[in-house]
Amino acid sequence: MSEREQIEFGKQALEHLPVEKAPDAIWASIERALDQKAAPGRARFSRWGWALAAAALAALTGLVYWTIAHPGGWIETDAHTRRTIEVGQIGSVEVEPGTRVRVVADRPNEHRLDLAHGEIRAKISAPPKLFFVDTAAGTAVDLGCEYTLTDDDLGRGMLTVTRGWVSFQWKGLESLVPAGASCRTHPRIGPGIPYFDDAPDGFKQAVENFVLGQDRGSALNAMLAQARVRDTLTLWHLLQRVEASDRERVYDRMAALSPPPDGVSRERALALDPEALKLWKDDLAWKW
Amino acid sequence: MIRSLVLLAVFAAAVAAHPGAFTFVIGNAVASQDFQFKSAAFALRTEGCADPAKPQITATAEGLVNGTRRSIPVKVMPSHRPGVYAVVQNWPDGGAWVVSLRGTCGDKSAGAIVPFGPQGMVRESAQFYARPATNAEVDAALKALASVK
Repeated sequence: MSEREQIEFGKQALEHLPVEKAPDAIWASIERALDQKAAPGRARFSRWGWALAAAALAALTGLVYWTIAHPGGWIETDAHTRRTIEVGQIGSVEVEPGTRVRVVADRPNEHRLDLAHGEIRAKISAPPKLFFVDTAAGTAVDLGCEYTLTDDDLGRGMLTVTRGWVSFQWKGLESLVPAGASCRTHPRIGPGIPYFDDAPDGFKQAVENFVLGQDRGSALNAMLAQARVRDTLTLWHLLQRVEASDRERVYDRMAALSPPPDGVSRERALALDPEALKLWKDDLAWKW
Repeated sequence: MIRSLVLLAVFAAAVAAHPGAFTFVIGNAVASQDFQFKSAAFALRTEGCADPAKPQITATAEGLVNGTRRSIPVKVMPSHRPGVYAVVQNWPDGGAWVVSLRGTCGDKSAGAIVPFGPQGMVRESAQFYARPATNAEVDAALKALASVK
């Protein structure tokens, strides 16, 4: 690594250093040092002040070096503290109390965190797919958004999006979550099916029951019966996750709530043609 | 029988005369699929204009604040998707506000009144016209909105 690269790397690492409140005692010593400097005949003590400052600088340099040498160091907050992680030039992440998280990658084309447990609030303003958060249940991929992501010790989590879009991915399974919607995440299952936060409670419960495999038949019936136009967000995901034998029922309900646009035939939708599904999703988004 | 055929012919002619009326479609900011507009007040697109790049669209925020009418020009910003635009709020939060959209595509025109409540756009109460909304229609929408607040 060239000197220039080392300096750049150090600069990027510095951006992730948490801002700590200086202990109150330090201000007293600084004031004393200033007084000593102002008072004639106390030059000897001033030199000691400089020596202390040099030692402090050396310690800070050591800390920076440690951070550079250990970019994957964990950031932990206790029950009463919060931290802010600056995400390059594209945004920031508030680390809520009781959280354990670390920076895994910090490059212009990839900013990645690993959330072990707790809660983070991300505020990103950048083109899609530059900011990622790994959890036990999968990866939240930023598509230009603001969101809250929680994860408990067992890997169960909740993604709630307040602006833009987030994609949550796990082993080829993907949930697209727009502003105003949430999605539960589960270890060994991945992302659940997203729903709008203003959906009826019975609808949300049916979504969860379906995802967890609890009486799927009843859950499916409840979702289809209670779905509003806006809940085509949930049905669009459901179409891709039901058994083939149930797919027509989901399609018919979606088509009744919002007829598919040109280019999306029944056959293509039932065959889960990716292009047709994207076309329909983009059209449905005008009602989400 | 003849009467039915005549009615059918008239209906067909009417449909042919308006092959997809020029109109606005509105949606939440996410519909723009453009990260730059994630905080937009709403997204919009047009239908019934052969060339999506052709429509001329303008907008004003019309408000009723403490009994006083206010009017603020609003910028309609194109997204990276052809024919899709976003309106970012530049009007104050207090009072009752609607956004009046006006568009033209060749000799066709369209208008819409999009009301706003405490939670943002009230899509269900939006009104669409095959012409710009009149001042009376804007005033009526504002009064209806103010009475709800």
